[in-house]
Amino acid sequence: MSTEATLQTAQALLAPWTKGARAPEPDRLDVLIDAADLTAAVQTLHDARWGYLAAITALDYLGKTASFAQDARWQALMASGRVPADGAPLEALYFFAAGRAIVTLRMLLPREGAAIASICGILPSASFFERELSEMFGITVTETPDPNHLFLPENWPAGVHPLRKDFAPGRQ
Amino acid sequence: MENETREKFIIPIGPQHPALKEPGHFEFSVDGETVTGATVRLGYVHRGIEKAAEERNWVQDLYLLERICGICSHAHALAYSLGVEKLAGVTAPPRAQAIRQLVAELERVHSHLLWLGVSAHEAGFDTLFMFSWRDRETIMDVLEGLTGNRVNYSVNVLGGVKADIDDARADAIRRGIDFLEERTQHYLKIATSDETFLRRTRGVGYTSREQAEELGLVGPTARAANVARDVRVDVPYAAYTDFPVQMTLDTRGDLEARFVVRIRELFESYRVVRQILDRLPAGELTARMPRRIKEGETVSRIEAPRGELFYFIKSNGSDKPERIKVRTPSICNFAVVTGTAKGHQLADMPMILAGMDPCFSCNDR
Amino acid sequence: MATILGKKWDEALEQVKTWARVNSPWAIHFNSGSCNGCDIEILATVTPRYDLERFGVKLQGSPRHADILICTGPVTLQARDRLKRVYEQMPEPKFVVAVGSCAISGGVFQGCYGVVGHIDQVIPVDAYIPGCPPRPEAIIDGLVKLLGSLQAKGEATAGEARHDSATAHS
Ligand code: SF4
Repeated sequence: MSTEATLQTAQALLAPWTKGARAPEPDRLDVLIDAADLTAAVQTLHDARWGYLAAITALDYLGKTASFAQDARWQALMASGRVPADGAPLEALYFFAAGRAIVTLRMLLPREGAAIASICGILPSASFFERELSEMFGITVTETPDPNHLFLPENWPAGVHPLRKDFAPGRQ
Repeated sequence: MENETREKFIIPIGPQHPALKEPGHFEFSVDGETVTGATVRLGYVHRGIEKAAEERNWVQDLYLLERICGICSHAHALAYSLGVEKLAGVTAPPRAQAIRQLVAELERVHSHLLWLGVSAHEAGFDTLFMFSWRDRETIMDVLEGLTGNRVNYSVNVLGGVKADIDDARADAIRRGIDFLEERTQHYLKIATSDETFLRRTRGVGYTSREQAEELGLVGPTARAANVARDVRVDVPYAAYTDFPVQMTLDTRGDLEARFVVRIRELFESYRVVRQILDRLPAGELTARMPRRIKEGETVSRIEAPRGELFYFIKSNGSDKPERIKVRTPSICNFAVVTGTAKGHQLADMPMILAGMDPCFSCNDR
Repeated sequence: MATILGKKWDEALEQVKTWARVNSPWAIHFNSGSCNGCDIEILATVTPRYDLERFGVKLQGSPRHADILICTGPVTLQARDRLKRVYEQMPEPKFVVAVGSCAISGGVFQGCYGVVGHIDQVIPVDAYIPGCPPRPEAIIDGLVKLLGSLQAKGEATAGEARHDSATAHS
């Protein structure tokens, strides 16, 4: 199957949850979805045996709220009243790869109380990625089998998340 | 009483373990000698490189990211350079790409030989450890001659490479490869016919193809279970389109297969190294790179010695990256230990661990 | 008389200990956050081309049997206490070698949030071997220099002991 066809398959599979889609690069497809639909979307990809989970990460948009003015997910988030007017969102990224093709599921999350459902029930191998996501970005992964720190020490201060933009490492 | 005899024990291994040269912590719960579960604790060498990368400029990051791992430093530098070049819309010249691939394959040789020695040591086969490390010095000399350093070669720059190859150098590399090819025949023979060695590997740590896919394994560990996944073949980068490699697969999925796949991959590396030397494109070594990188996001994937290395790079248009995410192969492959430990003998665990060729410093970053 | 014999005995024992330590020191390697680069070069020193064991140096696993602690890498948050503990578990006299730029200064990882500093901010260091990573030859050279200084020190202490017994006698 050609890369385009592979991407089209994914696009069709994910259509029920798609809030927006774009192709940032020739072999890639970004699918914007609501965080609540994550497990359903992953289940669909998994059932269709579309690719494998390549990585999970997130982005922090502190100070870059303007870029979301047009984003339906952002408007929905604002409407839900969960984001303070000046607060910037986090965006969780789930990368799936099949040959050349890469599909990224992108979900906006409020900074305060960011939470996302675990996909370990579908893909057990996501456990490490989810642990990393929650400690590095402060995104709670609900029902993840092992919520402990993966990289950070046990005595790491609660509520401090190194990869958020407002964390500045203390210089030696 | 009944309860007491059925009590399970937890055996912690690490973080300071004489055989594991790196700090990682495993806990195996055992019933008698049989493992019933396994967990892993990482982070002993977590330095916070992804964060630091956001605070340094694009060029400084090259040297920082290269030092994520001293064993596959070129893999990191290459994935990063290719990604940044893609964002900037720059393509490194063909000669540079060929040299990058050449160094990547030489690095694979050094890494696989290193691994062969370490896992032979785990199996109690120290003679093989000494032999393979003695032979590995040949490749270290080749790398040093080519790049000026034995480890952390720093051969990449953004937009190309620093090191060039002349005829004398090419001959030196060929001589090294010829010697190693002969030695590798010998290793293949040991890995497939040595009675004591086979007792430690044959049928041990078996993963089926379905399991391997389910666990998300990558690299030789996956290919040993017949999962056809190799970035060099699936998504050729650098010069892999001009100098393609064959994927090495094995259907057996046990430790022996992991040995055989890695050793066979060495032959493929030797072949492609010779091919590159014979047909090295002429021309420039570097292309001009801007200091600021255009806004955008990209994914850069390459096949490191241990499997798929995944970089996600986001630029905000300044001279520093907005975010760099590094997903290393080892973190995918740990599942082979935690996922398949159940039912194995405790004494087999070090070998199963060695069989996936773990790299903790890659993992922890 | 007993004290004189005691002194002589101490002196002889001291000499034997120095002789043994200088001729066959046991070393333990501790990675407190390194990139592996230094570690593989240390491992390379015990393999046939470099063969560190011809100087009697043996790499082994337990801090309780070790005379020399070979450290690599910057010190990470999670490694700091372990490094201290390994150091404390070693019997006296003990010596620490910091291998690589990271161990010496934090190297390229200075300022990372996971890094608390370099080795000599946590435990005292006797010898520094610079490089990123140092070549195996450099590591061997550093260790041999350390052994040389031990020998000198050992002779000095033995000399002192002799001097003490002389004064005690008079
Ligand atoms: S000094 Fe260099 S090779 Fe050694 S641990 Fe540090 S970065 Fe790695």
